[in-house]
Amino acid sequence: GSKHATTPADNYYLARRRTLQVVVSSLLTEAGFESAEKAAVETLTEMLQSYISEIGRSAKSYCEHTARTQPTLSDIVVTLVEMGFNVETLPAYAKRSQRMVITAPPVTNQPVTPKALTAGQNKPHPSHIPGHFPEFPDPHTYIKTPTYREPVSDYQVLRERAASQRRDVERALTRFMAKTGETQSLFKDDVSTFPLIAARPFTVPYLTALLPSELEMQQMEETDSSEQDDQTDTENLPLHMSTDDSGPEKENASVLQQNTSLSGSRNGEENVIDNPYLRPVKKPKIRRKK
Amino acid sequence: MNRKKGDKGFESPRPYKLTHQVVCINNINFQRKSVVGYVELTIFPTVANLNRIKLNSKQCRIYRVRVNDLEAAFIYNDPTLEVCHHESKQRNLNYFSNAYAAAVSAVDPDAGNGELCIKVPSELWKHVDELKVLKVHINFSLDQPKGGLHFVVPNMEGSMAERGAHVFSCGYQNSTRFWFPCVDSYSELCTWKLEYTVDAAMVAVSNGDLVETVYTHDMRKKTFHYMLTIPTAASNISLAIGPFEILVDPYMHEVTHFCLPQLLPLLKHTTSYLHEVFEFYEEILTCRYPYSCFKTVFIDEAYVEVAAYASMSIFSTNLLHSAMIIDETPLTRRCLAQALAQQFFGCFISRMSWSDEWVLKGISGYIYGLWMKKTFGVNEYRHWIKQELDQIVAYELKTGGVLLHPIFGGGKEKDNPASHLHFSIKHPHTLSWEYYTMFQCKAHLVMRLIENRISMEFMLQVFNKLLSLASTASSQKFQSHMWSQMLVSTSGFLKSISNVSGKDIQPLIKQWVDQSGVVKFYGSFAFNRKRNVLELEIKQDYTSPGTQKYVGPLKVTVQELDGSFNHTLQIEENSLKHDIPCHSKSRRNKKKKIPLMNGEEVDMDLSAMDADSPLLWIRIDPDMSVLRKVEFEQSDFMWQYQLRYERDVVAQEEAILALEKFPTPASRLALTDILEQEQCFYRVRMLACFCLAKIANSMVSTWTGPPAMKSLFTRMFCCKTCPNIVKTNNFMNFQSYFLQKTMPVAMALLRDVHNLCPKEVLMFILDLIKYNDNRKNKFSDNYYRAELIDALANSVTPAVSVNNEVRTLDNLNPDVRLILEEITRFLNMEKLLPSYRHTITVSCLKAIRVLQKNGHVPSDPALFKSYAEYGHFVDVRIAALEAVVDYTKVDRSYEELQWLLTMVQNDPVPYIRHKILDMLTKNPPFTKNMESPLCNEALVDQLWKLMNSGTSHDWRLRCGAVDLYFTLFGLSRPSCLPLPELGLVLNLKEKKAVLNPTIIPESVANNQEPVNSTNNHGQSVGFQNTFSNSQEEEEIDMDTVHDSQAFIYHHLNMLERPSTPGTSKFNGKMITSEFSSLCPSFLSHRPGSVYFIPDFKALFNSKEQSSGEMNMHPVSAAPLSVFSKESNSSKHSDHHHHHHHEHKKKKKKHKHKHKHKHKHDTKEKEKDPFAFSNSPASARSIRSPSLSD
Repeated sequence: GSKHATTPADNYYLARRRTLQVVVSSLLTEAGFESAEKAAVETLTEMLQSYISEIGRSAKSYCEHTARTQPTLSDIVVTLVEMGFNVETLPAYAKRSQRMVITAPPVTNQPVTPKALTAGQNKPHPSHIPGHFPEFPDPHTYIKTPTYREPVSDYQVLRERAASQRRDVERALTRFMAKTGETQSLFKDDVSTFPLIAARPFTVPYLTALLPSELEMQQMEETDSSEQDDQTDTENLPLHMSTDDSGPEKENASVLQQNTSLSGSRNGEENVIDNPYLRPVKKPKIRRKK
Repeated sequence: MNRKKGDKGFESPRPYKLTHQVVCINNINFQRKSVVGYVELTIFPTVANLNRIKLNSKQCRIYRVRVNDLEAAFIYNDPTLEVCHHESKQRNLNYFSNAYAAAVSAVDPDAGNGELCIKVPSELWKHVDELKVLKVHINFSLDQPKGGLHFVVPNMEGSMAERGAHVFSCGYQNSTRFWFPCVDSYSELCTWKLEYTVDAAMVAVSNGDLVETVYTHDMRKKTFHYMLTIPTAASNISLAIGPFEILVDPYMHEVTHFCLPQLLPLLKHTTSYLHEVFEFYEEILTCRYPYSCFKTVFIDEAYVEVAAYASMSIFSTNLLHSAMIIDETPLTRRCLAQALAQQFFGCFISRMSWSDEWVLKGISGYIYGLWMKKTFGVNEYRHWIKQELDQIVAYELKTGGVLLHPIFGGGKEKDNPASHLHFSIKHPHTLSWEYYTMFQCKAHLVMRLIENRISMEFMLQVFNKLLSLASTASSQKFQSHMWSQMLVSTSGFLKSISNVSGKDIQPLIKQWVDQSGVVKFYGSFAFNRKRNVLELEIKQDYTSPGTQKYVGPLKVTVQELDGSFNHTLQIEENSLKHDIPCHSKSRRNKKKKIPLMNGEEVDMDLSAMDADSPLLWIRIDPDMSVLRKVEFEQSDFMWQYQLRYERDVVAQEEAILALEKFPTPASRLALTDILEQEQCFYRVRMLACFCLAKIANSMVSTWTGPPAMKSLFTRMFCCKTCPNIVKTNNFMNFQSYFLQKTMPVAMALLRDVHNLCPKEVLMFILDLIKYNDNRKNKFSDNYYRAELIDALANSVTPAVSVNNEVRTLDNLNPDVRLILEEITRFLNMEKLLPSYRHTITVSCLKAIRVLQKNGHVPSDPALFKSYAEYGHFVDVRIAALEAVVDYTKVDRSYEELQWLLTMVQNDPVPYIRHKILDMLTKNPPFTKNMESPLCNEALVDQLWKLMNSGTSHDWRLRCGAVDLYFTLFGLSRPSCLPLPELGLVLNLKEKKAVLNPTIIPESVANNQEPVNSTNNHGQSVGFQNTFSNSQEEEEIDMDTVHDSQAFIYHHLNMLERPSTPGTSKFNGKMITSEFSSLCPSFLSHRPGSVYFIPDFKALFNSKEQSSGEMNMHPVSAAPLSVFSKESNSSKHSDHHHHHHHEHKKKKKKHKHKHKHKHKHDTKEKEKDPFAFSNSPASARSIRSPSLSD
């Protein structure tokens, strides 16, 4: 749609420009030039166009200044005067003998002002508003339609969405990993349909196998915190944070808590735990030098 | 051999008593995997003429031996390094097994033997005669040990501590000799001082109390000093060194736990339960834990999951788990409990001899069972007993019997308590691992039978008595003769039982302990309405291998309308029929409740039963008080009643198995009802799932409604509003968790009329995977997801192949495509977010193999081989290897078989090596009666070499190789080999020659004449044709002669050993070599025999040592003369030797030389140039600095 709306406007602009060029050229001929460089003509055309535009703009300002919408002759005159043009000379110039008459540009179609989208019927003026007043704008600009999307409360849809989202993420992620790294394939002739990320041995295989993955740790944290909310035990929080890196299993945390509370309650009895592995390492006995 | 008479106590097979041993390891090099140290044994001679001390030592390089600070000569001879000689072309397993058993007993400490023989310096003879103390000091080192000590050194940057490098002792039965010289017997107890100097960042964990830890002078290392004051056998000594994290048990401060770096949170959780096990055992045994401390160490690349040693246990690190893991928790707790039970019986109380092993294994297994009962409940306990019983029964019926108490008399039949087996059961080290596992299983079952007989109370009293005797003895620090009270023997144990209980359990012992085999009952019945009698017929099969006849009481429980009644039948020789009077008349009044065995009264719908009979169901031996298999016939409705109303889980499981044969709507209903019943034991419900699947498949044409279990699953686990979506995971209820895991796996076994998995079921499982949501769950869902993949694999059916087209993506079945999508995604996600123990990878690998096997995906082992590499988690490796093993079998791939066998030889992890052989044995590429392109001579040689010499560092592995060889080739000569070179074998024992048994089957089968082969060994000698008894000309394989001679010599010596055990022998090889060595001209070196002179260490070459049979350490002429004299004289049991009879001895020697020479002649020349320096020539030739003079 937009393409069709702009093309006539472009045409019009081009036509006008061409007319102005003809005007400039005839004026030049009138002034006695035999020929002109294209650049010069262009410059003059530009100047002329600017001048005319300025007249139009200025005239419009004057007209609006006096609370009108249509410029009158006097607006043009004031404008011309204001631009330093001697208006008196204009009739004479217009009637000069050697003037050339230029045919009006063949405007095939008037520039169609793109019609604003009209949604619904414009409201007619109520009786107390005079008829000259502008019409009401389109209803859509002022009518409030209460729109709300139903929050997706349907369990099934939610689950469905969560499932497919997760699946998409996983698939995209693994495909990416497979694309960027080494792969193995179940089919010799096809390596892309079921790409398997290549098995890579670990230096310490038991660590990844035994320690909870980051995701699981995160989940544990979430379930932990939700459970701790119930306990309204805010003191646990810093402790909990401190054990994050060592695997925040709930029971570990609670064991830790127990330990600390135990040791805290009988502070001095810490050394009751007499375990030989906790004892300090002894310094070697000084051997007598021979 | 060293069986004591009666209960007089323990008679040591050794001429000395060990009282104290020091083990000091000065240096451990993780980079080079080497250990340097010394041991010092304090021994008291028990005979006046002790002049040789035999010790056990393998792998160790021994630098120097001193006795009371005097240099001592020693000989190193380990016949187990190479069981049969290279030259031998014998390839039959019978021969090998005999030779191997002989080799093992030649170094068996329980027979007073050992690999290392130390000569007591002559200066000390007088000292010895006064029975004064000797201190034997041995400097040794270990370089890259292949067994006994296992080094784990991750290949990465950083110091050894940062890398988590560690080392630990391991092995099968008594394996301590692999890492330090000792008396590697469970019956030689002594106190210990253990010292380990390790890097300052490391911790050394060992037995007993850590007395102190001291820095070395440079402060870069520290020495851990341990004292073990409770007399302990060397075999129960252990060591673990690594950068361990230390956790003192919060409940019991004398208990310390160790784990590898970063695993501390897991360790805390895993061990948080241990104190309860302690409490339990101490309570039932009414006995404190015998040691003053206890240590648990969790290490990587474990040899076994649980290894118990004195006051410490070594566990696999893979037992550690976090609180999120459900499935591993009970398994790990069971391991902890097992380890602790063995602390009491196995470590603290040791055994007198191998034939008493069953008592220890039995008691520890039995009290472990009591713990199970208390912890997991009676249902779990009975289920476990049933499982163990089924296992042992299946194994015995398959292989022909497990003998708990092998008695090896001196008689002729001594070798044959287990002639059905392809290995000797005389020694733990010759036993197949599977046999040993089953042995342990049977031992604890028999203990339970004893309990049934004498009551648990008495049983515990007996244990308490054993323990209190032992602890009294252990506190007698200076009365080492008392220590034998800490050893348990079969007779001692039985005597205790009869003292405590006053009951005679001899028949029971005779039946289950002294005899192998299980009982096989067939039962059926008829109801005689007129007499109102149940006519029960019980038959036995006691002719099949592995069975025995049972005579004695047998309990039968009959559930009638009026209640449950127990009857004890007397099973006798010829009575098959038993009349059992019924209590109730067949029912008219159907309103009354029916009383059950447990007193409960229930309403039953009796419409299904036979209107004429009051019998609901019958059970034979419901308490499992006989080791038996029962095949009982009763009608389907009786099984259904039994399933629904019998409260014993074993009965329910039996009923489920029986119902498989009755695919009727009634069975379906009974199973479905059980499935839905929440009070029902979860394992029974899980079993019902599989049975239901089977029934549904049998009923496929008449099945109505949705696929079996689908609606049930939906009701139990899916959302109310949207039944196609499973609820978000919540595994708080473990019973339903296990059911939720199992049901899809069973459902995937459903098949439609085309024998395909119904599309509906597949989509159902895929939906379960799709909608699986664990975000709100307290527990990990890795096992659940893994089982969903298993379910996918179960749904796969063989591909329909159109004229053998090649499998490509284009012709991929759409269902399989869906399955592959899931597997791919799961497997890839594992790389990013690995699951606990990589359970999902394991399941994916298995599923891929299933797809390959069913022809959906091209069969290719490459993927599995990459996952089988070292560096993957052990479970993943095993799964991958299993797939490779399967591929090898299905595709008959020689290349893969070779790849596997290479791994058996070279893999760094002993468990993997063992497991490959185990899997190959269980799923062999071919068997002895099968034609296979894989079966060729090279393979025979390779496997032969593997078991003959390649696996001498690991007894379990060697036995595994023997098992595989047996599976592939059987007992006799493999059929793919060319005919043996000779048809005759000399049987020197019976002094006769027989046709070589290895070729008999062939010559009969192929009707081929035994070939007169040329003797290519170059030892054509004298007497070959003197025994010819067939028309062919035979030659004697001198190897056979030689080896069997060695074997026989050994045995003769064992049997005829004079009462002075100091004169016991090496095996025959040793002796013959002594004779040949008399000729100085034979003094040339031969690989394997090394002359060792203390001051010439350079001569000592480890390579030679490992391949060789003996190492000689002549110090001086004088002591050695006695040395060889003894070897001489010991052959003559009548000869009482003295110390100063050189001239006599010389004469003797000449005689012997002569005697042997005519047999060994030229062969010995090249073979045994070994010399004792007492021969006049050699004394001069060896440049031995005389230390003694």
